[in-house]
Amino acid sequence: MRSVLVLGTSSGAGKTTLCAVLCRALARKGMSVAPFKASNLSLNSYACQDGGEIGMGQAFQAWACGMEPESDMNPVLLKPAGNGVIQLVRGGRPYRDISRDSPMTKEETVPTVRECFGRLSASHDIVVCEGSGSPVELNLMDRDIANVGLMRELGIPAILVGDIERGGVFAAIYGTWRLIPEDLRPQLKGFIINRFRGDGSILKEGIDRIEELTGMKCLGVMPYRFLRLPEEDSMSSSEGKLEGSDVRSAFMFNLDEMTDAFLESGLDIEEVVRISESSA
Amino acid sequence: MDCIKKKVNEEIAAGWKGSDLSCEYHPCHFKGQDCTFCYCPFYPCEDEDLGSFIVGRRGEKIWSCTECLLIHRTEACRFLMSEVKRLGIENAEDSRLRGLFPEFKRRFFKIGRATMVVGATSDAGKSVTVAAICRILMRRGVLCSPFKSQNMSLNSKVTRNGSEIAMIQTLQAQAAGLTAPDHHMNPILLKPKADTTSQVIVCGKPFADYDVEHYYGEFVPGPGREIVKEHVDFLKRHYDMVIMEGAGSPAEINIYDKDIANMRAAEIADANVILVVNVEWGGSFAYAVGTVELIPEEDRRRIKGIILNNVRGDPERMRSGADRLEEVLGIPVIGIIPHADVVLPSEDSEALRGKTGSGEGNAVIGVVRFPRIANFTDLDPLALEDVRIRYVESPADLEGVDAVILPGTKNTVRDYLWMVERGIRDKVVSLKGKVPILGICGGYQMMGTVLDDSKAFEGGTSQVLDGLGFFDMDTVFGEYSKKISNDTGRLLAGDGGTVTGYELHMGMSESREKPLFELDRMFAKVLPTDGSYREEDMTFGTYLHGCLDTPAFRKYFLSFIKGIKTESGSEVADYTSVLEENLDKLADVFEANMDIDRLMAILEGRA
Repeated sequence: MRSVLVLGTSSGAGKTTLCAVLCRALARKGMSVAPFKASNLSLNSYACQDGGEIGMGQAFQAWACGMEPESDMNPVLLKPAGNGVIQLVRGGRPYRDISRDSPMTKEETVPTVRECFGRLSASHDIVVCEGSGSPVELNLMDRDIANVGLMRELGIPAILVGDIERGGVFAAIYGTWRLIPEDLRPQLKGFIINRFRGDGSILKEGIDRIEELTGMKCLGVMPYRFLRLPEEDSMSSSEGKLEGSDVRSAFMFNLDEMTDAFLESGLDIEEVVRISESSA
Repeated sequence: MDCIKKKVNEEIAAGWKGSDLSCEYHPCHFKGQDCTFCYCPFYPCEDEDLGSFIVGRRGEKIWSCTECLLIHRTEACRFLMSEVKRLGIENAEDSRLRGLFPEFKRRFFKIGRATMVVGATSDAGKSVTVAAICRILMRRGVLCSPFKSQNMSLNSKVTRNGSEIAMIQTLQAQAAGLTAPDHHMNPILLKPKADTTSQVIVCGKPFADYDVEHYYGEFVPGPGREIVKEHVDFLKRHYDMVIMEGAGSPAEINIYDKDIANMRAAEIADANVILVVNVEWGGSFAYAVGTVELIPEEDRRRIKGIILNNVRGDPERMRSGADRLEEVLGIPVIGIIPHADVVLPSEDSEALRGKTGSGEGNAVIGVVRFPRIANFTDLDPLALEDVRIRYVESPADLEGVDAVILPGTKNTVRDYLWMVERGIRDKVVSLKGKVPILGICGGYQMMGTVLDDSKAFEGGTSQVLDGLGFFDMDTVFGEYSKKISNDTGRLLAGDGGTVTGYELHMGMSESREKPLFELDRMFAKVLPTDGSYREEDMTFGTYLHGCLDTPAFRKYFLSFIKGIKTESGSEVADYTSVLEENLDKLADVFEANMDIDRLMAILEGRA
């Protein structure tokens, strides 16, 4: 079983895009790839052929893998319904409404996450998992199932993606590593710096220092580009331009260009494959 | 000199009077200033802590102390006047008056304390935090000044003595109750020009253009550090407190030793440091821990408090995380600040990233979003009106707009070519006469017939371009020089009215159109004019940044939009007073959500 989990240092760091690019690049190598996101907070969902409902991001990533979206790719989908009420869609089906007084419990989600992931990993060469938000929100961490929860439950190795555009990317990467529970830190294998503009050599000193401090390996510095995605969540803004009439093929054309750009910029896909082999 | 002595005699005779609210210039230095001695009885004290000699027009040495505030502090005035009365001094020539100076200075001259606010990222909320702290201090009667050693921004303003500094420091100065911000508050301003070069403004004047490599390789290790020291020391001599703002993240470890905007500046000023983290994007705890721990130990010890900023929803939900953060770092979280819904100008164009517009009014104003858009705070007063701003990046974005604004740009020629290439230029031309079109500064230059860059100052290659052709006007980019002025004047169109603003531009224009504004100039026989307009075409252009701040021109321009209601907003809204209210609101939010005792301990150096 091979799998890798992509964690972001913040919302909008580029997780969804990076996962799509990884899916695309791995599929091009002839691997059978499946996307997975344990828990997704989004109003944009997609109806799969199996009748289940999943987040739009995973549907997109499924297309990137050259396959049709399936319910297993997003076992928990949280759809804000207003007034602090959130609809919990579990395993593709509406399950119940959650609220502050009746929060979601790990007991009702973790088994589904395990089952869905198990089926996907059994039927594919590799599963590319996407985390949710930042994995180290100290006020939320103990309830997490999409980030450290997934690392712990399923032993999946992880890579971090940080957005350099806002500044403070070294702090974000180091700080995230530092706040991950110590016993899980060895599962953090690499990091990627996203949305960089200019001459990458200026970063070298910083990258070396982070590698030395954390033992994680830098898997690439990605260029400033925006992928046109079906809107993933309210925080992100997709600025890429779409061309062509068939929306889905236009998305894929755009993704292919982006994948080429990432690989040209040195995205270390071989290392990602090696990392995925350390899955428990 | 005799004139000053005579004034001082009058002041002594009048006795202590406190703030003179009846004076038309009040407050000429700061809110709550004491006006007993409008003219300093110790002039010229020739004390180097308080002023310096400058060279006058005829080459003579003149003692200059325009920035000294000591004689406008109430307690100082009370002391001095009571001594004057006690000794029976009645005349400025009395040598005993000068004899009071040493004791006066000993009692009231102090070197102020500096505190620095750094952010874990850009847009963390550093500048609003500085503004909030300045306002909190002002309300407590503390005389404080903002400071940012190095600011990269295309939003700048002109000070009273004609220096160019970042707009945000002038706003922070307003928060501190200061009337006349000056170049000490932002001695280095970087204005991005092309992709990798910036115009560097030092002490308010254009210095040179640098690319990133040479800026960090030559400027910073050369004059940079000294400039920071000189000006922060200056402010510490004149204010009780200096609230410094960092730039970007202080933990960019790849350039740490070359960064004079963050921890180096804190070291130079011997400042305590407060770290602000924006919670909105998530990952705030990681950003906080990473920032603190990547800063080397000798600098890290300066960090005395953390502010979690911009929390949406209930701030209490962050509490357990904040407690954990304190445990990990051993640094207190001194505030969990909810998102403050205030109308304040945004600092740099990064804040526009991903935004397609703002406002909720009925009339749609298309604002061309130039790649090098500058001084877009010009548009902020429109938030007071029944309009909605839509940023225009393609011709389609101009469909159905009720008005068009071409804002300022750092590079008129390159941005004009961008507009041509995107097809926006032709679309704007087709709208002439259909909807009102306003050009400000660079946008105004584009409205003329000719943009002459034959010396290649703007575009990098020699070229002469046809402009939009709305006005019979030529603009020539003739030399590396810049027009900088701070203006008040009158609208010459419509019902007239007062306008205030400032000019900042490379390139000079000659217009053969009706002028839009008449400007005040001291000692001028013929008052200069600015701008052009053609009512029949509904085209308006001006060099004056800030022209929409006062209601007169804003109301006039908007009156050309069919069906707009301008009465409500425009009647009342002078933008400066709107900012004033919002600064108070901002300070209220911070006060209510911060441990003020802890904050004061940090500011006073007790933490």
